[in-house]
Amino acid sequence: MTPDSSLSSVAPGFQRLTPADKKELSRALAAADRERQPIRELNLTRLNRVLWFTPEDMTVKVETGITLQDLQTALARSKQWLPIDPPHPETLTIAELLATNVSGPRRFGHGTIREHLIGLQVALADGRLASSGGNVVKNVAGYDLMKLFIGARHSLGFAVEATFKLLPLPQAEAFVQSQPVSFDEAERLTVAVLDSELVPVSLDWHGPIAAPALGVSGVGQAQAQAQARVVMGFAGTAEDVPWQVRRAAALGLTEPANLNYEREFWEELGAAAQTWAVLPSRLARALSELKAVRFVARAGQGLIHYTGGMRPPVKETDPGVRTLSRRIKDTFDPLHILPELPA
Amino acid sequence: MVGPGGVVVGPEELLVYECDAYTLEKHLPGVVVLPRNTAEVAAVVKLCAQHQLPIIPRGAGTSLSGTVLAVTGGVMIALTRMNRILDIDYRNRRALVESGVVNAWVTNAVKGRGLFYAPDPSSQPACTIGGNIGTNSGGPHTLKYGVTTNHVLGFELVLPDGEVVWLGAAPDGGEDVGGYDLRGAAIGSEGMFGIVTRALVRLVRAPQGYKTMLAVFETVDDASATVSDIIGAGIVPGALEMMDQLITQAVEAAYHFGFPLDAGAVLIVELDGLTAGLEAQAAQVNQICRNHRAREVRLAADDQARADLWKSRKRAFGAIGRLSPNFITQDGVVPRSKLPEMMRFIQRCSEKYRLRIPNVFHAGDGNLHPLILYDERDADQVRRALAASDEILTQCVALGGSVTGEHGIGVEKMDFMSKQFTPDDLEAMRMLRRAFDPAGRCNPHKMFPGSKRCADFVPRKQVSA
Repeated sequence: MTPDSSLSSVAPGFQRLTPADKKELSRALAAADRERQPIRELNLTRLNRVLWFTPEDMTVKVETGITLQDLQTALARSKQWLPIDPPHPETLTIAELLATNVSGPRRFGHGTIREHLIGLQVALADGRLASSGGNVVKNVAGYDLMKLFIGARHSLGFAVEATFKLLPLPQAEAFVQSQPVSFDEAERLTVAVLDSELVPVSLDWHGPIAAPALGVSGVGQAQAQAQARVVMGFAGTAEDVPWQVRRAAALGLTEPANLNYEREFWEELGAAAQTWAVLPSRLARALSELKAVRFVARAGQGLIHYTGGMRPPVKETDPGVRTLSRRIKDTFDPLHILPELPA
Repeated sequence: MVGPGGVVVGPEELLVYECDAYTLEKHLPGVVVLPRNTAEVAAVVKLCAQHQLPIIPRGAGTSLSGTVLAVTGGVMIALTRMNRILDIDYRNRRALVESGVVNAWVTNAVKGRGLFYAPDPSSQPACTIGGNIGTNSGGPHTLKYGVTTNHVLGFELVLPDGEVVWLGAAPDGGEDVGGYDLRGAAIGSEGMFGIVTRALVRLVRAPQGYKTMLAVFETVDDASATVSDIIGAGIVPGALEMMDQLITQAVEAAYHFGFPLDAGAVLIVELDGLTAGLEAQAAQVNQICRNHRAREVRLAADDQARADLWKSRKRAFGAIGRLSPNFITQDGVVPRSKLPEMMRFIQRCSEKYRLRIPNVFHAGDGNLHPLILYDERDADQVRRALAASDEILTQCVALGGSVTGEHGIGVEKMDFMSKQFTPDDLEAMRMLRRAFDPAGRCNPHKMFPGSKRCADFVPRKQVSA
């Protein structure tokens, strides 16, 4: 992809676009729509500016080709951040973050990107630019169209500008973990944490760690039993974080920890990772059934990222939801020039 | 179809349903039905689809923007008989409720276990979860905890053709579901995408401690600047509310909470969270208040004092009845750093139109609630009140804000939509509506500019909300 590709140079194929600005994107989409030429790839890396950042309002507006890391760097100068920590922030653009709705361990405390997005401009299939939301942290004017484009994998339009509300960077942060424990013990620890006064920003299990089963008779017959570590993160003031670390130790999370398990999982295995979402209370059972080679699980959400083991059970989409989703796709992209809707 | 007492047709009984808390405009529905379960809702909706009748979903009717008006008559479906809490799942921090359940009932049901349902609109003793989903309701504590869309995991929706779908997380499923975020797209759609019948809501752990402060200022300007500085200092209070002098005087006359009557404005600053960090943050807030010449910063000594302070805030609208027979309330939003400028603008409007405009609002969010006082018996006052309201909302948009932070567009603010959005923006919203409701029969004549308005529209009495 050459950086100078423009409307004319994409004219024959329309398969891949690298627009210089949103107007060029808009014109190229309109042309593709007229010609019924499907667009399979859009490179927004030239739309990578911070349009404005108002620290006193804790809001920022960006072009969506900017990477998450570049954005966080700009915000950190004013001791603020966009509270989301998905894998590979150095390459993940805001456009992809929105389209794939990825998240990381701090999702437990801060939710997903939908919680922070307050305004969005999208290039629709026919090239029209449509905005929803706005610049302010609270706003119910009009439908919440923004949500429609989160996780939609560009099937309804391409996000070109996004406005977010921000949080102050925490004064202090600390991570603690348990010894390797059985899945049932991990569940017990998790419930103990949830029922305590602790307010963790992350609550993960990772493993499995094979350990010889106890109390099994017969020498050499001991079966490996899957175990996990429970890891918890705290972020807050210089006073409350040490207090929480002490309180967590009393519950059995005694070792200092960090997020290396998370980074390593995605760096080493990310491409092969599968995901299964279960009711949080069913995590222990689901993990026992999965027999994963390696996993990172968000205990608060019941989200398991894993490699090896079973495939995630296929859940049939409700036929009514499927019909409604198709109707939305057909309304926003009647000629189907954009990528197909996610399953 | 809906059992005994399930249909209201008598003209006098129908009067209850002629408006919501926005009372400038009223319309009688043709009939009101009160279904008892999802199947009954679906049956009524299918019947209406066969006869191409408008359907208007209604919860408690506390909306402030005319969202539940039956503009061209039709069948109103009131969810008030579907008011059961079906299941509370403490382990997974969720509750499954029918959509007619009152907001405050959810918190009341779980507070014994140290949990609560976070969105807390002032109308929470009356408004319903289904209505909250329709308007994406907020409240004082949404500054820190978020609004309805952040706390509703999934819900059952009867589409305008009678089909029943479940959007978002299922009661026995994980939080992540594949496909489009239809739950998110439908929350805040003002009842135009279908009828919510059941909802799965998130339960949140109540904070370990509170520091609730009342800061007293000589001027609104000082209080506004304090708000900006608290946010700018990186402090995220649980709530940050302002009441100006007219409001504090009215509240004091009505409830005797001990507010100073000569102060220009007061702020309620509530810090919540772990006790360990609160003391230092409270000291920081205290210092910021003093920097802006706060005359006094009172700390609520105990739970009772804190409850009293919140009672005063949430009853403020009610106290306005003492000041004026009628008022228009707006809920425009400005960027937080523009608050001092916007408050001065409202003051100038008050002088220009010779009307009193008290303010009680969610300052931490930049979400204003100017209350424009007028007397409906004086036609010139009515005209001036509407003009002032228009000017204030127009200025919110000009400062980069929004015409509504919580109350919704309804019929009230339809004409402002084209000030805040381009024709292409509005067309994209209409496209979404077409996907949910191709015939446009569900809660018609709302939201979009140019929608049908009663030809003889004249502002009428706006009662105290």
